[in-house]
Amino acid sequence: MQPLNDSLVYVVDDDAGVREALAWLLRSRRLLSEVFESAEAFEARLHIAKAQSQPTCLLLDVRMQGKSGLALFEGLIERGLHLAMPVIFLTGHADVTTAVDAVKRGAFDFCEKPFSDNALVDRVEQALQQSEAYLLARQKACLLNERRAELTERERDVMGLVVEGLPNKLIADRLEISVRTVEVHRARVFDKMEVKSAVELANLVRDAAV
Amino acid sequence: MKFKARWSRPRVPYPVSIRRWSLWGVLVLLVVSMLALLVWLAGTYEAAQVQSRVERDAADAVSDIRAALMRNVQSLQALQYSEPSPKSWGVDAEGFLREHRELVRVEWRNQDLRILAFADTPFRPPVFDRMGRSNMQSEVSVTCATALKFSGPAYTSTYFLPFADGLGAEMMELCLPLQSGGKPAGFLVATYSLQEVLEGLLGRQLTSNYEISFAEGDGTRLALRGSSRRGSRIFTAQQLMDLPGAALVLRMDSWRGTPDLFPNVLTALVTAISIALVSVLVLLGKDIRRRIKAEHELADALAFRKAMEDSLVTGLRARDLNGLITYVNPAFCKMVGYSTQELLGHSLPAPYWPPEFIDEYQQRQAIILAGNLPPREGFESVFMRRDGTRFPVLIIEAPLINAQGAHTGWMSAFLDISEQRRIEELSRTSQERLQATARLATVGEMASLLSHELNQPLAAISSYATGAINLLGDGAHAPFELGADLQLAMHRVAEQAERAGKIIKSVQDFVRRRDPVRESVAPKVLLDAIAPLINLQARKSQVRVQTELEQGIVSVFCDRTMIEQVLLNLARNAMQAMDQPDIQDRVLTLRVGRVKGEGSSQWIEFSVADLGAGIPPEVQPQLFNPFFTTKAEGMGLGLSLCRTVVEQHGGALIFTPNTPQGTVFIFTLPARTVA
Repeated sequence: MQPLNDSLVYVVDDDAGVREALAWLLRSRRLLSEVFESAEAFEARLHIAKAQSQPTCLLLDVRMQGKSGLALFEGLIERGLHLAMPVIFLTGHADVTTAVDAVKRGAFDFCEKPFSDNALVDRVEQALQQSEAYLLARQKACLLNERRAELTERERDVMGLVVEGLPNKLIADRLEISVRTVEVHRARVFDKMEVKSAVELANLVRDAAV
Repeated sequence: MKFKARWSRPRVPYPVSIRRWSLWGVLVLLVVSMLALLVWLAGTYEAAQVQSRVERDAADAVSDIRAALMRNVQSLQALQYSEPSPKSWGVDAEGFLREHRELVRVEWRNQDLRILAFADTPFRPPVFDRMGRSNMQSEVSVTCATALKFSGPAYTSTYFLPFADGLGAEMMELCLPLQSGGKPAGFLVATYSLQEVLEGLLGRQLTSNYEISFAEGDGTRLALRGSSRRGSRIFTAQQLMDLPGAALVLRMDSWRGTPDLFPNVLTALVTAISIALVSVLVLLGKDIRRRIKAEHELADALAFRKAMEDSLVTGLRARDLNGLITYVNPAFCKMVGYSTQELLGHSLPAPYWPPEFIDEYQQRQAIILAGNLPPREGFESVFMRRDGTRFPVLIIEAPLINAQGAHTGWMSAFLDISEQRRIEELSRTSQERLQATARLATVGEMASLLSHELNQPLAAISSYATGAINLLGDGAHAPFELGADLQLAMHRVAEQAERAGKIIKSVQDFVRRRDPVRESVAPKVLLDAIAPLINLQARKSQVRVQTELEQGIVSVFCDRTMIEQVLLNLARNAMQAMDQPDIQDRVLTLRVGRVKGEGSSQWIEFSVADLGAGIPPEVQPQLFNPFFTTKAEGMGLGLSLCRTVVEQHGGALIFTPNTPQGTVFIFTLPARTVA
């Protein structure tokens, strides 16, 4: 699978040899990378570029001078960034338990040094796909929310019930309005949400909820 | 002091006291008999003296009497010089008799012995009253005949003349022939009383000291003068007084009684000397007993010392000032394998000197014999047993001073230290092994750090390799300029491989067992050697490492491997002490400087300071105990070994609280000895 051209891999490792080697490896697989020598440097970078639109992935060394990789990960979780930017931990032998723990808490994966490099890059690509998928989903949700913002309160009620799969008759009973009115609302919802069927609407709402 | 190498004291098999007492008895007997003999001899001598004096006095008395009789004869002759008439003669004779009490009667008789004139002594009644004078006529005539024959005076033998009062006296007649103009002209007859002779003719001196008597040959006393104080013993002298025509015996009995037991000074002197002699003998006896006692004690003491010397495992050897062996104890003989006889009197070089060292030892002996005493704690040397094996000895030399305080030689004590050496060697190797083990343990404890550190370059190498393969696989579709890119990658691979090699080498350097050689090492070299290992830990524990090296510091004299281990141990401890979540400021300071203070420029001080929580007071006392540890994975050998190593180098390892917090471990090492 061809990676996205605009995807970007962040490498945070205090060992210059390792991070440059990784960058070089990624380049050989046509992946763009950006390297940082410490967690602090990476955080500074994050502050500058807030809006994240391209798929990204973070290769993070657990043990570093200064702030550790784990601490950085905690920060990302707090800010909910770890979904859009899957984190792959690079660990030494002694840090495996720490890394497993991190995966349970939401890291994408960990990779023990010395790693099987192409396997690592494969995982990086998967992470990037996940990132991309997440970004797409988030895009969709944003779209849905934009459209939903145009709905009236009554239309939103009707849409909720439609997504649940209730027929118009029951919706009318539930909302104590006429079936006719339900039909009108339903048509307006379909129109505003730019869907053609109730199934499509339900998928849209479900996707946005991810 | 001369030592008898072998001696034995002959013990008296029978009781000493019997012999001694019998000797004493004989001695006392001899002394007493000598004394008795002396006293007896002295007494005898004294008696002989007295006897001879008595004899002399008797002779004097006899000559006195004889002289007096002679004078009387002359006086009687003088009566005739004036050609007297019988009447005038009688007057003269009476005058004469008045002067001479010993004469009782003087008669002038004619040739026919008829009495012409006579005179009786005025001091007594006429003696011939009882017995008529005529009764004596025969004696007179015999005497006169004798006198005529002699042409000189002659005496009759004595006779007893009874007196009128019933008493009587012994008388003796003297007949003196008279001559007138060459013709016989009658006789003078004088009658002596022997008693009066004794009374009148002898000096008072004689008569007061002696009983003097005239006696006949058979001992009959005729006349007696002086009274005897009779004792048990009387000295008696008899002297014959022969008169013309008669002979009398004068007997003198000394008044002196038996001589005293100590009759005179000589005896007293002899006695006194004898007493003194006995006293001296007694004193000598006492002295001898004391000497014998002292001898016994000395013998006991000698036996005690002999037993002591024999039981010693320390070899003892005495030499005189020329280096001749004068004494060796059994331990020494056993040590070198030569017998006492072989060693005694042996001069230098000694048989137990290894041939290869003889020159060196000779020089050393010369120095010692010259009076330069080696150090009191002794010096080490190598000796050779009889079978040729060498063994190390510790020699302690001391001058041999005799009782007079003169220096007579040297006494040396020898300790065979081969066993000690072996144990030292054993302990050294085990110590080395322990230290090597501890080093390995240290590395073991650092294994995760090391593997991480090695994984870094390996990971990098692996990445470059994979990347290169990727590029090569892409072939013409490569997004980069392939050649330049691969070249870069290979450079990097080489760099990283070198880096991995360095890490391995640093570990290997640390673990490798080097010969325990003390050498001159610059402190910076020591610090640099362990820097990679320290940095591993520092990175893990987020510690900043500061190194402070005093300017112009000299090298230290030490065993590199061991001191590196000490430094690493201390540094690791310090970093682990700071590896606590609540400690933010994590700085490890390694400082090297001179020890400040007087006379301490020979010492270099290493300090390892942390900013940790410090050492709890309850832990401090056992901090250096082996196998004491506060760490879960530690063996507890680190600090104990550190202290051992530093002390082996002659330094000291201490710790003090750091400011503002934490602990400083400080150890000292000797600076390079200035060449």
